[in-house]
Amino acid sequence: MLKRIVYGVSGAVIIGLGLFSFYAWNPSIDPITPPVKSDYSPQVIEQGKVLAAAGYCSTCHTPTGGTPYAGNYEMHTEFGTIYSSNITPDVETGIGSWSEEAFNRAMRSGVSRDGHHLLPAFPFEHFNKMTDEDIRAIYAYIMTSVPAVNQVKKENGIPFPLNIRWLQAGWKLLFADSDAFKVNEKKSEQWNRGAYLAEGIAHCGACHTPRNALGGEKYDQMYQGADIDGWIAPSLTATSTSPIPWRAQDFYEYLTTGNSPYHGSAAGPMAPVMHKGLSALPEQDVRAISLYFADHSGANESDDPAANANLQTAIAAQHTQTDLRIDEGARLYATACQACHYSSEELVKGRPLLTLGSATHLEQPTNLVNVILDGVRSDQGISGVVMPGFRDALSDQDISAIAAYLRQSAGQEAWPELQQKVTEIRNQPRFEQ
Amino acid sequence: MSRLPKRNSPSITRRGFLIGMTAVGISFGFPRHLMAAMDPASADGKVLPSEGELYEPSLWYSIDTAGKIKVNIMRSEMGQHVGTAIARILADELEADWDDVEIIHVDSDPRWGYMVTGGSWSISQSWPVYRQAGAAGRVALVEAAAKKWGLSAKDCEAKNGKIISSKGELSFGELVSLGLTRQFTEEELKTLPLKPNQDLKLVGQQVTSLDVANKTNGKTIYGIDAKVDGMVYANPILPPTRYGAKVVSFDDSAAKAVKGYQKTIVLEDASGSVPGWLMVIASSFIAAQKASKLVKVTWDAGKTVDVSEADIIAHGKTLLDDASKGGILDTGNVKTEPAFESASSSIAHEYITSTVLHAQMEPLNALVFKNPDGIWEIHSGCQWQSLTLPVLATALGEDAANIVIRTYMLGGGFGRRLNGDYTIPAALTSKALGGKPVKMILMRPQDMLFDSARSASVQQLKMAFDDNKAVTAMEHHATAGWPTQELAPGFMPKGINGEVYDPFAIAGADHWYSVGAQKVRAVSNDLAMATFRPGWLRSVGPGWTGWAVESFMDEAAHHAGKDPLQFRLDMLIAEGRNAGNNAVSEGGAARQAAVLKKAADMIGWGTEQAQDTGLGIASTFGQERDMPTWVACAVQVHVDKSNGLVNVQKLVIAIDAGIIVDPNGAEAQCQGAALWGLSMALYEGTELLNGQYKDTNFDTYTPLRLGQTPEVQIEFIASKMPPSGLGEPAVTPVAPAIANAIYQAVGVRLRKIPMRPSELKSALAKA
Amino acid sequence: MAKFILNGEAKTADVESDTPLLWVIRDELNMTGTKFGCGIGTCGACTVHVGGRATRSCITPISSVEGAEITTIEGLSEKDDHPLQISWKNLQVPQCGYCQSGQIMQAAALLKDIPKPTDKDIDAVMGGNLCRCMTYVRIRSAIHEAANAIEIKGVQS
Repeated sequence: MLKRIVYGVSGAVIIGLGLFSFYAWNPSIDPITPPVKSDYSPQVIEQGKVLAAAGYCSTCHTPTGGTPYAGNYEMHTEFGTIYSSNITPDVETGIGSWSEEAFNRAMRSGVSRDGHHLLPAFPFEHFNKMTDEDIRAIYAYIMTSVPAVNQVKKENGIPFPLNIRWLQAGWKLLFADSDAFKVNEKKSEQWNRGAYLAEGIAHCGACHTPRNALGGEKYDQMYQGADIDGWIAPSLTATSTSPIPWRAQDFYEYLTTGNSPYHGSAAGPMAPVMHKGLSALPEQDVRAISLYFADHSGANESDDPAANANLQTAIAAQHTQTDLRIDEGARLYATACQACHYSSEELVKGRPLLTLGSATHLEQPTNLVNVILDGVRSDQGISGVVMPGFRDALSDQDISAIAAYLRQSAGQEAWPELQQKVTEIRNQPRFEQ
Repeated sequence: MSRLPKRNSPSITRRGFLIGMTAVGISFGFPRHLMAAMDPASADGKVLPSEGELYEPSLWYSIDTAGKIKVNIMRSEMGQHVGTAIARILADELEADWDDVEIIHVDSDPRWGYMVTGGSWSISQSWPVYRQAGAAGRVALVEAAAKKWGLSAKDCEAKNGKIISSKGELSFGELVSLGLTRQFTEEELKTLPLKPNQDLKLVGQQVTSLDVANKTNGKTIYGIDAKVDGMVYANPILPPTRYGAKVVSFDDSAAKAVKGYQKTIVLEDASGSVPGWLMVIASSFIAAQKASKLVKVTWDAGKTVDVSEADIIAHGKTLLDDASKGGILDTGNVKTEPAFESASSSIAHEYITSTVLHAQMEPLNALVFKNPDGIWEIHSGCQWQSLTLPVLATALGEDAANIVIRTYMLGGGFGRRLNGDYTIPAALTSKALGGKPVKMILMRPQDMLFDSARSASVQQLKMAFDDNKAVTAMEHHATAGWPTQELAPGFMPKGINGEVYDPFAIAGADHWYSVGAQKVRAVSNDLAMATFRPGWLRSVGPGWTGWAVESFMDEAAHHAGKDPLQFRLDMLIAEGRNAGNNAVSEGGAARQAAVLKKAADMIGWGTEQAQDTGLGIASTFGQERDMPTWVACAVQVHVDKSNGLVNVQKLVIAIDAGIIVDPNGAEAQCQGAALWGLSMALYEGTELLNGQYKDTNFDTYTPLRLGQTPEVQIEFIASKMPPSGLGEPAVTPVAPAIANAIYQAVGVRLRKIPMRPSELKSALAKA
Repeated sequence: MAKFILNGEAKTADVESDTPLLWVIRDELNMTGTKFGCGIGTCGACTVHVGGRATRSCITPISSVEGAEITTIEGLSEKDDHPLQISWKNLQVPQCGYCQSGQIMQAAALLKDIPKPTDKDIDAVMGGNLCRCMTYVRIRSAIHEAANAIEIKGVQS
């Protein structure tokens, strides 16, 4: 994502510097003394805690193994490395001196208290959909319940001119959706609750909506899938390539257990979204989000996936595999994968059928190869369950043979230049969260 | 630290059984960290303490005052349940209660004699020895009881752990409590009365092998599990060639970033086992392994750096073309020339086998250190202690008497651990560190690269026929890398032409068929010998000679227009040298004919087969003429002509190994051996490429897996003949049986193993 | 410092985060029933259960199992009496035994998911567990025997 944003920023440079110099200017908001717990009701603070989790603030504001919210989470781009901000209530290095007004402005328009523009890695255009009450609750939680940590933000490694902060303003003007959340009267209350959460705090579109050449979300292709941090955020709409449609109950199972037996597990950047984020929401909110996305996917809720012909084909395909002496991919799959990735007559949760899995049906092998390389940790996918990583075990040739075999078994066209693709994916920066 | 008992010098000089070892606390017990001996049935292998004074009727066992019998096993346990089988031979003769029997796998003390576990010899060789030993104990116990009762020994009987007479019964334990001291000289032992074979009770009965339970709960201790306080870990860096590589320089600066890395040393090896090796030393295995990948080494490679499998095969053919090369075996009448000159017709074919790796599941490893008594302790799995000790002595510059090998359970032997070269780098590293304990574990690719592979072989066979298509002469010329030449040249006899040969690399070619004049010639492939270290691999030479002989017999039968089964039976005549010349081989060719008929019955020989489906049969005599195990294999295969896939639908084995001591274990050995045969016929094999084995892990080296395992049926011929061996023989007839079945199914003859689908497919296209 | 539950007990290991679970179990925690075979997840000798699922510990970094529940052969049953351990002994499946911890752990995971496996199910799920002694014929029989025993007794472990 960041890469596209950086392109966007450079595009903004070309579009016209001067025009925006006035627009880009924002005043500094006066510093304050941090509020204390008694300034807010416990319910508000608790609500803020849930929302901060649901927005996975800590995911991007905590380095691997570091102190929560203290920033310096490293994000790699080919233009250099950037670091997230310290958002603990530390006066000197965090947001301790930020007033509610300053926080609200940052959340809605990506402008820091002192008036400088934040890089659009911060998805303010989604947070802008939230109510003032919800933003206030997050503020209340962070300012009163997150321990202040004195930790100076590291210098971003973005070179000139991409590092000129006021250029962000141009980008914002062009691409950021500045409208407030609008209730869709044709849809149910539950649907609208889901929409509010998904479009706002959960900022699902930040990853799942494709972006234009300059990094802005293409709102006319909302949730149709995009590349993100070396992974693919798959389409959540009817354009999905999943052989089994996503019903609300499938989304719900996926978002609460990290896995849908008919589709796959939450790995890569999606893992913290589910485990560290949405799992904090009350059940009815997750159901609302699920309903919202099922509407986008167009699945029929009454369809039984177990009766789906694609599932039957996938199960049957396990038994008609090519002889292992002829097909290298089949042999390696039988040797290294099938101990877990096999189901008998009935699909067993925790034995993901890879011929059915979304990753096998995407246009690119990215997700499948990522998972083969680095596996699934105990805090990803199904909690406490692990898939080993084959990065140091299998060669690019081995991995592409397995992927090709799966792709063929799934009845899909071969991925072109697969082995080269595996090499590229192996060498891209690893997603670390 | 362990304390090794002082050497008991009389026991070193005196052979056999005559030692009246006084009872208490000889070499066993378990010092703090280690075990001098192992009981595979007890938790963590620890030998259980004995009660009271011990009575040791012979070197091979003791009885304590509780009646517990500890049987000393000097054979290594690698899956044959050998200790159970041997202890059972002894317990049967002794009339022990099986529940009182414990087995102890001993260290390499010279008192045990020549220690080797291989060749399928264990049971055959132990049979007379442990029966005599059992008889000695029985006689002594009967005498003691008779004396106590004031009866004649004739009136007392040993039965199930007790001596019984009209005066009542005394348990073995009670008798030992009386203070038994009776000892036997070697001459006395030979004259002791043995039970008639038909009275044996434990032999041939189903018992649970004593090592099995701990192999289902993780408690069995293998060499890789050996640990001692203060040990460091070492992982090697292997040179580009097996021989002749010299380290020019190395740079370990990158390795220094690995936490726990200590240093890298270049090994100086007087034994020549590991030329050009470096060892990376660290505080943990994983650190050593990680660091070894980061050390950059420059070598001068050996001369064989460009040698490929094709070079070795081509060189083998050149060698066979030179009739002056190699040793000619004594097969009676070796003058085949006249028969070929006057032959009405003749056939000649060439057979190839590819390089095969042991790939035993437990990667090679060894723990070595010098104990406070100045004794070098080698803790590892080992099949040939008596061969490895002198190599260790050379490498360490020590007297072999100051080195002891403590043999752990083996995570697979299959012949790899006959060659103890993997103990050398650990020993040299410990020596370089002043005797500090060093634990070396090879990563799988290192284990494979360092394998003593089964050499590729080339064999040329020809046969002369008279006008009636009767066989008048046969020649068999075989070349391969010779394991025995490299590792134990003293075991190589001279042929009738005065040239030495490796008997293990040619056994099987000197078959039991009456073919008239017969010439068998074995030639060492010196290019193979220079490129890698050929090893003994489960079934050794018969693994390739059987392939050639039994494929060729089929071709000969078709040439003669005879049924392949009948053609063989007609030539299996138990006369002359083919009648057998010792207790084990007695019956000779007639017994081979019997297993052939049995296997034919089992598979339904002669029955109509479906399209592209065929039956094949083959028969061998296991390992060698002096200790034949008669074995026949028949298979039913289906060939998929579209892709060349051979599907073995049914595999049967008929086997005559004399008395079967351990029926369950025997069946397991035959199942395993037959599947090894299948694996080498269709699934596994590698090749030399740039002087090294091409495949180094299980992503590309592909032994048989569960899903590829057909129905396997094993039947033993009931016999009261002395036992022969079972670990290897069933390997040998499988590949030719499959090739013969393919021929019957689709009319195509394959003469190279493994038989790959692509090769069958192109052969079908040509046919 | 990695934290996890091993055979029901909380454990910590002070090792580099990329250290494979196998070597933590074997060398740091001194439980040697789990074996090293290939180091690339293709032989199954190192199979343990993580979160109840069969997992190749030789390629599972310790950082992956943070907080997870791990079971090794030593913790499969209290008295070595898992139905598979019983059938393994009845049929005398092991030869050298080196791969058998992995075989049994893999088979236990199989029976949990597929209580009455067919030969095809066994072929598929056990295909990653190499046995160089080729005890396959008995492994197959012992899995069926254990499955029957579980069905009869209504026991499920």
